[in-house]
Amino acid sequence: MATGVIEKAKNKKGAAEQVVDIKTGNEMAAIAASHVNFHVMGYYPITPSTQIPEETDRMKAEGEHDIVMIPGDGEHGAAGICFGAATAGVRVFNATAANGLLFSIEQLPVQSGCRYPMVLNIVARSVSGPLDIKCDHSDIMMALNTGWLIFMAKDPQRIYDFNICAVKWGELEDVRLPVMVTSDGFFTSHQLRRVEYFSTRDPVQDFIGKFKPGITAVDPNHPVTIGPYMNDPDLINNKKQQSMAMEAAYKHLPKIFEEYAKISGRKYELIETYKMDDAEVALFILNSPYDTVLQSVDNMRAEGKKVGAISLNIIRPFPADLIRQVFRNTKVLVVGDRQDSYGAWGGNMTHEIKSALKDDPENKTEVLSRIYGIGGKEFYVEDGIALLEEGLEVLKSGEVKKRYAYFGATETAKDYKPVQAFEPITEEEASPEIIRVELNPKTGVPEVKGVNMRALTKMPKRIVPGHGACPGCGIFPSIGNFLKGIKGHVVMLWHTGCGMVVTTGYPYTSFRTTYIHNLFQNGAATMSGLVEAYVERKRRGEIPGDEDLTFIMITGDGGHDIGIGPTIGAAMRNHKFIILEYDNEGYMNTGAQLSFTTPKCMITSTSHVGPAQAGKATFHKDTSQIMAACNIPYVFTAVESNFVDLVKKAAKAQWYAKHEGLVFGKILSVCPLSWRSDSRKGQEVIQAAVDSNFFPLYEIERGITKINYDPEKRNKKIPAIEWFKMMGRSRHMAKPAYAKITEEVQNEVDRRWARLKAMAESPVL
Amino acid sequence: MAKPKILPKVNEYDCYEIRMESIGGLGANVAGKILAQAGILGQGLNGLNFSSYGSEKQGTPVKGFIRFTEKESVRINSPVTQPHLIAVFHISLANVLPVLEGLKPEGTVVVNTNKTPDEIRDILKIPGGITVYCVDAIKITVEEKVRMNAPMMGAITKATGFLDPEQVKKYIRETFKKKYPQVVEPNCKAFDRGYKELQMKVLAKDDKYDFIEYHPFMSPIGYDTAPMGGVITDFGNAFIKDLSGSRAGYIPVWHEEECIHCGQCDIVCPDYAPVFGEGTDHKGKQGMVMRGIDYKHCKGCLKCVEICPTDALTGEIEAEVAEEILSTVPK
Repeated sequence: MATGVIEKAKNKKGAAEQVVDIKTGNEMAAIAASHVNFHVMGYYPITPSTQIPEETDRMKAEGEHDIVMIPGDGEHGAAGICFGAATAGVRVFNATAANGLLFSIEQLPVQSGCRYPMVLNIVARSVSGPLDIKCDHSDIMMALNTGWLIFMAKDPQRIYDFNICAVKWGELEDVRLPVMVTSDGFFTSHQLRRVEYFSTRDPVQDFIGKFKPGITAVDPNHPVTIGPYMNDPDLINNKKQQSMAMEAAYKHLPKIFEEYAKISGRKYELIETYKMDDAEVALFILNSPYDTVLQSVDNMRAEGKKVGAISLNIIRPFPADLIRQVFRNTKVLVVGDRQDSYGAWGGNMTHEIKSALKDDPENKTEVLSRIYGIGGKEFYVEDGIALLEEGLEVLKSGEVKKRYAYFGATETAKDYKPVQAFEPITEEEASPEIIRVELNPKTGVPEVKGVNMRALTKMPKRIVPGHGACPGCGIFPSIGNFLKGIKGHVVMLWHTGCGMVVTTGYPYTSFRTTYIHNLFQNGAATMSGLVEAYVERKRRGEIPGDEDLTFIMITGDGGHDIGIGPTIGAAMRNHKFIILEYDNEGYMNTGAQLSFTTPKCMITSTSHVGPAQAGKATFHKDTSQIMAACNIPYVFTAVESNFVDLVKKAAKAQWYAKHEGLVFGKILSVCPLSWRSDSRKGQEVIQAAVDSNFFPLYEIERGITKINYDPEKRNKKIPAIEWFKMMGRSRHMAKPAYAKITEEVQNEVDRRWARLKAMAESPVL
Repeated sequence: MAKPKILPKVNEYDCYEIRMESIGGLGANVAGKILAQAGILGQGLNGLNFSSYGSEKQGTPVKGFIRFTEKESVRINSPVTQPHLIAVFHISLANVLPVLEGLKPEGTVVVNTNKTPDEIRDILKIPGGITVYCVDAIKITVEEKVRMNAPMMGAITKATGFLDPEQVKKYIRETFKKKYPQVVEPNCKAFDRGYKELQMKVLAKDDKYDFIEYHPFMSPIGYDTAPMGGVITDFGNAFIKDLSGSRAGYIPVWHEEECIHCGQCDIVCPDYAPVFGEGTDHKGKQGMVMRGIDYKHCKGCLKCVEICPTDALTGEIEAEVAEEILSTVPK
């Protein structure tokens, strides 16, 4: 693992042997985790924190640590896994970002209020919406009131060091609080820097000591009630204890830093300052831009300007006393806030600093709040200079013109002209009368006629060329062909995922019809509201009764891990719309982590193969059968390599969504990049999944199962291994070492196929 | 500032800076990491390396940055804007991006091309005083069965004048030996060929082409006119994007005389590039007929070639296809 050079850290007395290497921030978090050797990591991948579980999993496959890796069903679930594990009396680890943090935030005060320490890395990213995957601090500032201790790590070295210190800090007898370690998404998480880390885990183990469980849920000799129903007058005392724990934590941290310096040679303070002794104007800035600002300060000092910079290594507890000290003589302070507390006239750090300074009656510092770097906007030396110059201007004029302002927002380019690439698609254009849906007079079941590949090239494209998907992507033929079977006006809602990201990069959209995005735990609920409100507006006469829209929600398989709850909710309410899942068997948008539909044994970036692990540990989820169990009118599976079948099912889906209620369809969709298959052979790869019975084509109409394509009857049946061998993610399954597990997968495929056949043969199954 | 010992030149912040202009999938990210390892771990420099961030897919433009210094720490972690060396991994990028933006006077440009430095100078509009290195990385890549990054690392290493090829190869081995031991030697060989099979020329200082200043990417729409809530009202405006830079070197070519207008290419294409319209087919019948391929949006996956039941679509090397075919816009 260590590509670096092992050397006894030079000039560091008593320091343990360390490796000099270059690593990213996320890699350093994972190395720290392996050195702590946490018992459990409960996680759910979200950019840009994903490499932390990926790296931790990779090391696990190599046998480098013993951490039990548990993929959550979403961040809320991951936080629950962590809480549960912590109550068992173990060390627990997790990493998340942005909406992942917000989705789990309900659980975070549970963790702190019940006083179970753990370590959570926050790889700071902008909170949606609109969706932005890059760095700002809008996520971490939401966590200020969760009762967690919060480190700010400005570089990869600090991520490693603070993760280790976090364990010791949170576990202290009079602290017992969970800890966040915050780094800047991409800027720190993905940047390779020269770093040092211990060559073995021993010094870390000696430093943190053996874990002393507090009260646990697994000690039958000492039964306890964890998390009682606690109203007034008691809860305030529980919270007073938390406040006392914060005070204790604040007192202990300098000692922990001192002890850590002894073994590492790296000494940290709670607060970072640069040339503040005689600074008249200072810039406060958290995390990654701080280093760049040091250069800004030097440039300005060279011109004789008395400027300085400060940053913090912790924001909870907030080092108010040190803030008061450092700004005693500062005339103007510019606070760079990488988020806004909308309507409060400044970001959170502005207010916390102002509040700290208010307690020093002598303090006369003018404080400017500047909202900068939102959504990953780059920060250059010149930006640091510009912010400090604003402070110098106030110093010179003695007047604060703008106490609160956005730095770096831009006006529209003078020559900008909106692009009108198309006219809206008309009802007539989208209804070319090629496909007919007729009710069978005997059975009352809709039947679809007239599906013709050539004639259907006439259907106007609701998604136009110009999206940024990978060459050979399966999403767009799958969805595009489905839409050929849908006539008239459509409104689509897409979950977060590859399909959404590559089509709607602002200010461009590939959608020629109306499109909505919502985060992928909630599309089905959003669509439910939209559909019912549309119906109600028609009922009230606000929308002409003869107008008609077909509503389609599109999700990846990942959206149906984290978002299966709202989808089942929509099924229970039986709203009239279509839910279509493109299933590429992984979280491809975030770099191919396992999803619950990933087949057993396959390689993903969170299910590595190695001496200690054999790819994904469990069988693939059968979402279609979950939805069938909801007894909705129509469920189907389809693939792009069977066009007629796919388009017929689309037309039928539209009929059922118009007349009876919710439709669920799943399309297996090739991902050449992450399946590591030949992009040219997409159809062949997908058809092999069907011919091996791994992905049978069938439909369930009003509870009656019908198999639409039987490879056995057509003499096309192949063993599953033939499909696995077509893809780099599963080629290893043909090796003798994996024979047993491959047989298990084959047996499971056979079992599910036999069950499906039995269902198709019986009207009651 | 003290004169650097290893680095041939440094900027005002004591750094030697490299920018790689590449396309997702060519391995610029790994190349950046290996070169940084060689310089930092192998040669005792300090520095950092990162790529342009985002949800970049295969085929989209990416930038890689490396910053080396002989100082104890690297402070600046923002993207490289005024590089000493720019490496262009794919020539088609120049169609869509100002790849030489910010290049320092007397800087170095490394280009993946089978052309000569003088020819490539006019294609990329390289200013006078620049040292140009041309390497036919595509040829080496095909012959050695490796990714584009291996010969490009060779060429970049040579062009820097300070990176030690043995150190770079050491980290190529470190990178691949565990997971892909079979690719170690081909990669080292491709690296050596990239290092050696170079055409170099120092361009005379003239005014033939201007240096382009660096401009940070700015959206054309600002807060004063952007529709509220981030809504995009210009439906389908992504159509104006030119994605031809996403192709890795291959394209489908349509031969009308062989076409039976079946529509199969239309159903497999992820990019909706086959263009159909009403017309008269090969049998004289009215109906939907194929009119050609929209090369502005085709990403060259060749699924259409694979499925075509006749020889109407063939996969070709883009560089060998006549310009008038590529520039035809089917209506």
